[in-house]
Amino acid sequence: MVRLLTHNILACHAKDCNTNNFPLEFKDVQLEIREAEFNPEFLKGFLPKLEWKALVDTAIQLGDTSLPLEQPEMLDDEFLKNLHHVLLEIHVEEGSMTCPNCKHVYPISNGIPNMLLAEHEIG
Amino acid sequence: MAPRPLQAAKVEGEPEIYETQNVHAIYDDIAAHFSSTRYKPWPIIANFLSSLTTGWVGLDSGTGNGKYLPLPLDRPGDVWTIGLDRSKNLLQIARKAGANGVVREVLVGNVLDNPWRPGVFDYAISIATIHHLSTHERRRSAVKRLLESVSPDHGRVLIYVWAIEQDELSKRRVVSEDDIPSLTGKDVVVPWVLSKELSSAEKSLSDGGPQEPQVYNRYYHMFAQGELRGLVIEAAAELGLQVASKPEDVPKNTRGVEIVHDGWERSNYYVELKLW
Ligand SMILES: [Zn+2]
Repeated sequence: MVRLLTHNILACHAKDCNTNNFPLEFKDVQLEIREAEFNPEFLKGFLPKLEWKALVDTAIQLGDTSLPLEQPEMLDDEFLKNLHHVLLEIHVEEGSMTCPNCKHVYPISNGIPNMLLAEHEIG
Repeated sequence: MAPRPLQAAKVEGEPEIYETQNVHAIYDDIAAHFSSTRYKPWPIIANFLSSLTTGWVGLDSGTGNGKYLPLPLDRPGDVWTIGLDRSKNLLQIARKAGANGVVREVLVGNVLDNPWRPGVFDYAISIATIHHLSTHERRRSAVKRLLESVSPDHGRVLIYVWAIEQDELSKRRVVSEDDIPSLTGKDVVVPWVLSKELSSAEKSLSDGGPQEPQVYNRYYHMFAQGELRGLVIEAAAELGLQVASKPEDVPKNTRGVEIVHDGWERSNYYVELKLW
């Protein structure tokens, strides 16, 4: 699956591609929304590790504008529920992710991204 | 039934190609049958996953059918484990691992790659995976990738590999009585017999008569005592990590990894690590 939780972790790993290789850019995506159990304690623990700007930009690109541009200091229920939805309920089923630096394309099929590189692309 | 000695493996040619033919292609073929035999989580691994801090995100490198992705069962959703594997067919099973129709996060990838932000994970597990790599260097690289994938401040790692020393209950035996115990492990092939019901139905029809079960020989490196620990020490040295428990005052520009446990359990060697 590629949820935005995973997307916020993935980066391009092609040979010599070390800068500006995150976040990967979604293209031609098919989305599916699946409800997931709300777990505020998980979200609070994971929040400091998120790349916030990448998350917000990507969510907007996928049509979700519920998150504030700056990470709020007060973690109220409404914010956590929006964050939950963005991170864990939006599934990218088909499409691809393109590296902003080297333009390598990682395809997504059946909800599973393929992060393998060809032999000559491996660093 | 007396344990059967395993056939020695002859690793030839490019290791990458050898592993594609003798590991990856086989798992794609036997995925459904293999998965039906792999459902019970091992206790040390289950305990490790139960001990993780809420909010942590981890990597299961070589997730197979994803049987560790739903854990810990007593507090589901407190951590998220992302499964990586080379076999797309196993990942199709892994994405639905566990009850309740919950969908898991999985990716197609190589355990020697690192397609993520460096140190982004809080923990990583590698269960019954590194023993499928066919050279010492590649096994060391796999350990390095795990150490690099987790947080340099608090990252935790658990690795399991197959041991030469097999359990008495195991059907297999590798070292025959006159064999000298090895320090560098042993390369073997382990047969997987694909039962007839799960082979393709069309094939048996076209062949006419009863079909022979198909046998796949998977490559394994069986680890010698101390070999896994040795790999960790080599990998740590290459990454500039000290192998020690965390000192009370960490000197500037010093990073390290502590070997929290290592041991043998049920035909496997394991090691648990903590970065600092
Ligand atoms: Zn790139």
